[in-house]
Amino acid sequence: MNQNRDFYAGLVATVFFAVILFVLIPIYVKVPSFIPGFAPPPDMWPRVVAIVGLVMGVLALVLSYPKMREASRNQVEGLGNRILGNKTHLMRFGAVLILFAAFVYGMPLIGFVPATVLLLGVLFIMTGNFERKFWMIGLSIIFPVLLYLLFTKVTHTPFPEGKLLSFSLSDLVTL
Amino acid sequence: MWNELLYAFEAVATLPNFLAMFAGIWAGVIIGAIPGMTGTMAVTLALPFTFYLSPVTSILLLVALYKGSTYGGSISAILIKTPGTASAACTVLDGYPLARAGKGGKALNMALISSCIGDFISNISLFFLAIPLATFALRVGPPEFFMLMAFSLTIVASISGRSLVLGIISACLGLLLATVGEDIYGSYRFALSEDMKSGLGMVPVLIGLFALPELIKMVVFRPEDNADAMKLGDNRLTLSEFRGSIKSIFRGSLIGVILGAIPGIGPSTAAFFSYSEARRTSKNGDKFGEGEIEGIAASESANNGACGATMIPLLALGVPGDVITGVMLGAFMIHGLTPGPLLFQNNLGDVYALFIGILFSSVFLFVAGKATAGAFTKISRIPQTLLLPCILILCVYGIYSIGASPFDVTVLLVMGVVGFVMMLLNIPAAPFLIAFILGPMFEDNMRRSLAISRGDLGVFFQSWISWGFFALTILFVTLTIRREWNKWRSNRNADTASAS
Repeated sequence: MNQNRDFYAGLVATVFFAVILFVLIPIYVKVPSFIPGFAPPPDMWPRVVAIVGLVMGVLALVLSYPKMREASRNQVEGLGNRILGNKTHLMRFGAVLILFAAFVYGMPLIGFVPATVLLLGVLFIMTGNFERKFWMIGLSIIFPVLLYLLFTKVTHTPFPEGKLLSFSLSDLVTL
Repeated sequence: MWNELLYAFEAVATLPNFLAMFAGIWAGVIIGAIPGMTGTMAVTLALPFTFYLSPVTSILLLVALYKGSTYGGSISAILIKTPGTASAACTVLDGYPLARAGKGGKALNMALISSCIGDFISNISLFFLAIPLATFALRVGPPEFFMLMAFSLTIVASISGRSLVLGIISACLGLLLATVGEDIYGSYRFALSEDMKSGLGMVPVLIGLFALPELIKMVVFRPEDNADAMKLGDNRLTLSEFRGSIKSIFRGSLIGVILGAIPGIGPSTAAFFSYSEARRTSKNGDKFGEGEIEGIAASESANNGACGATMIPLLALGVPGDVITGVMLGAFMIHGLTPGPLLFQNNLGDVYALFIGILFSSVFLFVAGKATAGAFTKISRIPQTLLLPCILILCVYGIYSIGASPFDVTVLLVMGVVGFVMMLLNIPAAPFLIAFILGPMFEDNMRRSLAISRGDLGVFFQSWISWGFFALTILFVTLTIRREWNKWRSNRNADTASAS
């Protein structure tokens, strides 16, 4: 049988809401021993939503069945096969995830401005279009610096300087 | 009354007042257009400047900032799919498809005109309806609020696109994420880390969900047309297009005025409510979400209509409806004015001067909007390969500046990935958005009502307002079920016919 998008959406929703309902709510939604008045407990609403989501996920799975049967009859390639068949797309998506994770974890170390400069530069490279190289190089340096100046002057936002940078600066001052 | 109005007009028509409004509107439009910078931020930043101004000039400056930022939010929503403010989130649904089709200027013009009309009607209502609306607003308690939110959530059915089931899944995800953090009784829910105890910020979630998936899609699939700029086609708003949207503009303005007058609702809910009504009643309802100009008219007239109306409970009752009017309450008190019934007795001249000044601000909004629309439309000419990465960096700076929190930036990026996966699976993002905004209000008012009534469900049916919204909710749920049933039957008949 060839799986379609509705099947995967149903599958993802079913698994997600089941995890919420049976794993996360019991652990991460604490019900206090005393609730003022007759107010419903804090886990009531998340449970209702998770149950509705779970039912809808299962319904999406069931409703996708006739379409999948027809696609299978017509020998249409399933979405799963199409995505897994194109490994380049998967690798690029993986690279995006790694880039975002590197930004989040690297930013406190190297500082906000250098991290955004690197993020923008890498994103330009990842677009795969190098027709405007000079624009890309210029923008990846100037744009974050301009935004930094705007936000520090207008909203006085204290952007992280980065542990590595502040370490070297304090070293210089001490010396 | 007319003599007082004449004196007030004289008091308002001064250079400092006009300069304050002009500067406020311009600054508001620009701040609203920058993702992550909100009207609240603009008003709060301007508060210290008001110490040196007269009371009326101060309030006019703050109101101008509020209105300008509300309109400004629609600029980034239309051109770069990034709602500058939460109230512009609804404008993304039709604005961005229009911009992609080379009609960004047309969409901006409609947003501006409907914003100005909504704003003007809202200002007029300040003169004549301040007291009755404030009295009505006082009758809206938690049970009525709950019923109103339940009715507003039925919009999920009309913006789910091709599959209602996937729309409800999306809404459930939004409702669930809205529960993260501390609830009204101090219990923590899904606080997987220390940062999550304060919940997920609305702006990072919305911007992440809408703006980032386009960038990830471009990086992953690299469509060939991304190196090109968006087409710049027909940017003029025709008279027939305006005529076709006029009903939605007036309806949206009235919805904005009524909902804006109720403390705690604000422009976002008004925009969704108006959009939903326009979609239900418009002959082009099926095209909403794909680039229907009437959709922009409905949401923009309502969110700007709510701006002036939020002043009603503040002035008439001394009750600030949202954070911005809370800051304005502070500005009034700094200048020795105490909003409430006594303000109309002791400082009637100031009140009328304020009303007239606010009317002038509609004109300034139109001028500033017209002047900036052309410049902003040029953003469409930047190739997507350059524009989208820069938008991400802009969002990262804007989001960080809200609370100086790296966690908010993480939320932005994670929601971008979630939005991309939803896009791949054809799960519509719009129901998520509505559920995420309305969910907390829905739940809080339900729990408050049940706490007040000691668990008695009858509390939801004790007033005619509750009954009215309950009847509307049942009506629309029934109509939706009937529509889905008919759709399913016609699909089945078509399948049977093709098989035979």
